[in-house]
Amino acid sequence: MTSDPLSTTFAALADPTRRAILARLALGETSVMELAHPFDMSLPAISKHLKVLEHAGLISRSREAQWRPCRIAPVSLKEVDGWLGNFRRFWDESFNRLDDYLADLKANQRVKTKPRPRQKPNKEKQRGRKNR
Amino acid sequence: MDARIDKTLKITTPSDLEIVMTRMFDAPRHLVFDAMTQPEHVRHWLGCAEMPMTVCEIDLRVGGAYRFTLRSPEGRETTLQGTYREVVRPERVVFVERILLPEFTTPEYQVTSAFADIGGRTRLTTTILHSSKENRDGHLNSGIERGVTPAYDRLAEIVAAMA
Repeated sequence: MTSDPLSTTFAALADPTRRAILARLALGETSVMELAHPFDMSLPAISKHLKVLEHAGLISRSREAQWRPCRIAPVSLKEVDGWLGNFRRFWDESFNRLDDYLADLKANQRVKTKPRPRQKPNKEKQRGRKNR
Repeated sequence: MDARIDKTLKITTPSDLEIVMTRMFDAPRHLVFDAMTQPEHVRHWLGCAEMPMTVCEIDLRVGGAYRFTLRSPEGRETTLQGTYREVVRPERVVFVERILLPEFTTPEYQVTSAFADIGGRTRLTTTILHSSKENRDGHLNSGIERGVTPAYDRLAEIVAAMA
């Protein structure tokens, strides 16, 4: 192991199959068998890719379970999260922004409509805005 | 009652053709519905900080079209465009959509967003239905290649800073 961690990460990411594997793992842990399924590749070939990813600290594999499920190692991915699982990231970020925006909308509504039109009195409504 | 709710985005693939996302929002469903279907709201949250929305048009009625364009810092545009199939405020909206990228346009897929009232809060369940597994998988992996360049640029910056 002569290379620094970042170079190892770079090398591990420089392969489309390995990026596809990471994208699949972004959905949740899974078995080697299931990972291999979408690729036209033998299990040993997939295992080789997994070893590279594991060595780079991008995934971890359970030692306990017989089928050794693979999962993403979130810590080392922090540095390179700009590309991984763009689908999840896109919606995660969007929905987090929507949370903040909804809080603003709720606050505005409270100001605008003092006597709430056509709504049953409800204790819930009396609650103030929670600390976020 | 515990005021906190689990806002984790959950993504599952219950069949070969589907992607299902669920997410809780701490707001009544009419607000969530409006925030997701009115252009003056959508432009405030859809996308991410590095990809501002340059086009946001919505004609919210059955048969009506919408178009959202996001622009990356390098000027690369991604457009989501589609047509509404069902509009039932505040419960449900169904539309067909495709993604337009500079190199290609994705096949069409159907999106159903269901807004469930959970004691004044909202659980959003979005089901994306593709016509083939290949298309479904492509959607899940979308953006990976196009995201590599900026990530590599950032890594290059980190490396430069370390030197």
